[in-house]
Formats: sequence, structure tokens, C-alpha cells
Amino acid sequence: MSFEDNRFPVPVREDMTTALRKSWADIGRPGTWWTGPERVAIAALARAERIQRKEPPWNRDRGEPGTPLPEKAIEAARKIGADPTHLDRDWAEATIAELGDAPYVELASVVVTTVAADAFCEAMGIEHETLPEPEVGEPTRERPDNMGDIGAWVPVQVIDWQRANVARALSLVPEGVRTFFRMVAAMYSGTASDFNEMVWDHRPMARPQVELLAARVSALNQCFY
Amino acid sequence: MLLRASSQAAGEEVDLSAAVEDAADGGVEDGAVLTAFAEAVVRATDDLDKARARALETLGPAKFVEAAATVGIFNGLVRVADSTGIPSDAMMLERTADVRGELGFNRWAGAKSSGVAEAPA
Repeated sequence: MSFEDNRFPVPVREDMTTALRKSWADIGRPGTWWTGPERVAIAALARAERIQRKEPPWNRDRGEPGTPLPEKAIEAARKIGADPTHLDRDWAEATIAELGDAPYVELASVVVTTVAADAFCEAMGIEHETLPEPEVGEPTRERPDNMGDIGAWVPVQVIDWQRANVARALSLVPEGVRTFFRMVAAMYSGTASDFNEMVWDHRPMARPQVELLAARVSALNQCFY
Repeated sequence: MLLRASSQAAGEEVDLSAAVEDAADGGVEDGAVLTAFAEAVVRATDDLDKARARALETLGPAKFVEAAATVGIFNGLVRVADSTGIPSDAMMLERTADVRGELGFNRWAGAKSSGVAEAPA
């Protein structure tokens, strides 16, 4: 089992460890467009690059990627993992032209899940979780309906959308949304009604404290959103 | 910006420049400890152990876990936004118009996705 309770220096809420365990296991499963081994390889590439984030990209020790992933997928896993400030539309369009929009979105979902879990481990002062064992099986290759253009680099859900845009950014791959936003609910937002309340009493920290951390992390990553 | 909205709801005045300045408290309880902790994790600085120990000592175990979780998940959330070029929500753009330019947000690469980019400084 991943994220075992005895790894943490202080107790962690059960709903948080449950979410982390489920999402971590998801990485090893066949996805919508990538196999389990490919998804674990994407996570490994993102982690290896992010560990070296203090070094400029041209100075990092990469060695052979050791994966049959397409070159653009290797580049995307590394870049999204370690250099989010260097992403732009031209690069995304060139990458999507080779990989396809939905495989690109799924790749991003694996990277963001890995990075969030790794950053949590670093904050807690524990070693990164061992990557999951990849499971055998074929991707489902199911593309959802009701996708459209709202100005993002990828199509997103456009019917009956009332929530923040970031929550539909990965909607071209619903499984990726479930994997990552399960962790978002447990580690930040709570339920939809919790999130809409500006005064939080369901978490130990006051909401302004949580939002100060959120704002500082966003600013350090130069994230405009 | 939810930092400002949540502070106003709590009857507090927040200094939003804390989002872009090192170890600033912004008028938020234990703010400097929180921002120093976030900076150490994101930048992987040599004083991460020290920042973590200070956070645990100041906040106590339960709040420390929340802080670690928030730092962790936002490292993922920023990448969701920046890897998909998702535009900012209209309401958020409207509510932050007065501070985005002042704090330099409009000069960040992601501002292009929301149609409010300014030339880099």
C-alpha cells in the first residue's frame, strides 16, 4: 500500500491518505490513451526532471530516458514537471500536433498528480512514494462528448459548466480529472459547498492562511490563473 | 483572488504583495512562516528542513499537514492551468484588475491565455 500512515512524521487525515492512495494507484493503471507502463514512465520522467529543478534545463543530468515513449511525450513530461513557467501556446500546439490533444491532456494529468504528491512528500519531509507497479491492459480510447473551444490550448467541457475553468482544464480525459481532483478535494477545496464558503471551519487552518499559501505557490510558479 | 475575498470575509485586511515577496506575512496569522515554508518547498532550498521545522513548531501537527497539503496540491494545480492554457475566470479577472498590474501578474507568460498580457519588465 502506498502512503502508509507510519511514513508520516505527524498524523495525516484519513481522507487525504485515502485520496493519495487511490490516485497513486491510478497512475499505474491503463489510462484512456496511454498504457500503465507508459503512464508510470511519464511519472518517472516528470519526477526525475523536477528533482533537478534548481538547475537550468540544459544543465540537468538526464541520461537515456529508458522508455519507448515518443520524443514529444518525453519532452512534455519533463517540461510540465519541472518548468511550468516555460510553457506556451506554440510549444503546446507543436506537441499536440504530434501526440494528439487527448493523449497530451492525459500525459499532463499524470504529471500533475505526480508533482502534487511529490511536493506534498517534500513538504512533509519524507521520501517520495515509490512509483506504482504498472498494470497490464489496453487504454480505453474513449473521447467524451460536449467538448469545445473556450480559448484554452485543448478542448474542454462546454455544456452546463458553472465551476472554475481550471476544474475543466483536463475534461478531455475524464479519468484524469477524477484522479487529480480527488486529491484536490482532500488536500484543498473540500466539497463544492466548502469551497464556496469564504470562512472555513472544516479545516484546521483558516481560509486566508490556506489562500496565502496557494497564492505564494502560484506566484513562485508564475501561474497567472 | 480568494486570498483577498477570504480575508475580507474574516474581517481582516490582507496585503496582497505577500504573494510575490519572500517571507512576507501579508497580515495573515503566521503568514511569514507559511510563505517561507512554501518558498523552501517550491525552490528546493537548502533551508527546507529549517522552514519545515519552524512550520511544524509554529502551526502544530494538524495545521502543518494542511499547509503541506496546500503546497503540494497547488504545485499540481498551477501545472494544470499552465499546461492547458486555460483562461482565467471572468469574475476573477474583474475582481483582480486593480492588483494584477501592480503586482506584475500581467507580465507572466500565462497572462496571454486570458488576453491580458503586458510586455515583460
